[in-house]
Amino acid sequence: MTIRLLLISNLLLFVAPLSAQDNYKLGPDSMVQDKVPQGSVTQHKWTSKKVFPGTVRDYWIYVPKQYNGRTPAAIMVFQDGGTYVNTKRQFRVPTVFDNLIHKGGMPVTIGIFINPGVIPATRKGARPRRNRSFEYDTLSGQYARFLLEEILPEVSRSYKLTDDAELRAIGGISSGGICAWSVAWERPDKFRKVLSHVGSFTNIRGGHHYPAMIRKTERKPIRIFLQDGTNDLDNLHGSWPLANRQMAAALKFTKYDYRFVMGTGGHNGRHGGAILPESLQWLWRGWNGKSGSKDKAK
Amino acid sequence: MIIRPASVLLLVLTCSTALAQDMPLTQVLLPGQGWELVGSGYKFTEGPAVDDKGNVFFTDIPNNRIHRIDAVTGKVGVFATETARTNGLMFGSDGLLYGCRNGDRQVVAYAADASHTVIADNLPCNDLVVTSDGRLFVTDPANGKVWHIDDKRKKRVVAEGIHPNGVILWPGQGTLVVTERNEPHLWTYRVEADGSLSHRERYYLPLRMLPGRERPGSDGMTVDAAGRLYVTTYAGVQMFDPTGRMGGVIHKPQRGSLANVVFGGPRLDLMYVTAGDKVFRRKTKVRGAPYFLKPRAGSR
Repeated sequence: MTIRLLLISNLLLFVAPLSAQDNYKLGPDSMVQDKVPQGSVTQHKWTSKKVFPGTVRDYWIYVPKQYNGRTPAAIMVFQDGGTYVNTKRQFRVPTVFDNLIHKGGMPVTIGIFINPGVIPATRKGARPRRNRSFEYDTLSGQYARFLLEEILPEVSRSYKLTDDAELRAIGGISSGGICAWSVAWERPDKFRKVLSHVGSFTNIRGGHHYPAMIRKTERKPIRIFLQDGTNDLDNLHGSWPLANRQMAAALKFTKYDYRFVMGTGGHNGRHGGAILPESLQWLWRGWNGKSGSKDKAK
Repeated sequence: MIIRPASVLLLVLTCSTALAQDMPLTQVLLPGQGWELVGSGYKFTEGPAVDDKGNVFFTDIPNNRIHRIDAVTGKVGVFATETARTNGLMFGSDGLLYGCRNGDRQVVAYAADASHTVIADNLPCNDLVVTSDGRLFVTDPANGKVWHIDDKRKKRVVAEGIHPNGVILWPGQGTLVVTERNEPHLWTYRVEADGSLSHRERYYLPLRMLPGRERPGSDGMTVDAAGRLYVTTYAGVQMFDPTGRMGGVIHKPQRGSLANVVFGGPRLDLMYVTAGDKVFRRKTKVRGAPYFLKPRAGSR
């Protein structure tokens, strides 16, 4: 009884402030719509032999109904794939893709949703080496290499994917967000569209250096949508709201094609999920040759 | 305010996961508790090792002595003399003190009376780690090798091509960590059943480096029961969480060398460091995880 009471009071402590700040609702583009063709999602396993040797992970491939097998499809990769591919939680990417592709808000796009790797321990009872932070937070081209040398070639065995960097996007939440930026930053010849939800541009593994690097590096051909919330994390690694503001200011200074939306939420995907359809339409605008007007920061 | 129970649970899970992942120094250090001098007047201290009572042994390499710090009184006494520049030390679950007897190019095991038996010959070594089932990993910086010595005392090279210095295992002994003094990362390897090492990665990265220095000077390491890893460097004792993220730098007790670290004392909550001519300790909120103890739940 005491334990139960304690639990409930803890719940209220957490929930009361969160519910007000994170009161974001999904719109119709995040719901399955009648008469909109639905793509298919398949689940796969990958054991890395080259770039993150020994890691195992799940990944999913979304193929839109409109994909015809002849025309190369655009690509969008998501870190923490299981979170984004889930059609019951905050992001529901397959459903959003169905709706946006149907109405022409984005190209026919194959979605690749990849979980972070784990190196299982051989010794009985020993803890596995969780590779998420190493893969996502490290400032290097290693994750880009993983995509370019392992995952994309594998997916290309079954599907025709575009080589046009303008039609290759990548997104993620938290450390997955900074990872998306790192991929485009390291390989803008291969990925030029970035979507970041509550991105960890903080000092987990040096990510706080990016705003300074952006200001003092010749502009790269990257378009980026940044989302964060005023109640995001403030911990030993840094302040997420300040870090995202620093990113936005640096992108503005260097005249990047960027958009920054600051909500009131915490370190979760509620706000990012609610605005996902408009975020994606902004990110993909002009994909069909009709160039969208260059948005300025809000 | 209407909140469905399921979403409440989810919220709480999300929060607690986020909190659990963050391991700031405040989880380790006690307010107002700084370094305390344990012993001084040595030439170069190294190899701190804890036994099953919490006594800490360390070596004074140039003076060829191994000292013992009593777990209860904190007094330092001489354990062994003429130790042939013995360097890295660690207790096995058999109660023996294993050491890198570098002057003789041997790995040895010291008994309670300080007599020693040879475990491996022709092996110039710096540091070692002893598994709970009596196997050893030994670093050989001169030849750029990590050796494995099995329970039949057969030695073989299990990693090379790096300049290894310190070596430690995670509490569950499934992952081996190796330092290179001049590299901005620590290496991790998976430990296979036969002692071979696989899937090398620069898992702990980046290390803090002092301004103007291109090398971290990483040396000895230890782990705590929650899986945090501590490595001595030029900048201080750097603490990493179990996912390889640096959580903070603990000040050095004095300028100059900081060679190695271990948790000792009756509760294993005293952090001991060997620092040049002295040995220091400070009380912490955490506990060490020597491999001869049965691992606590969640500490693997």
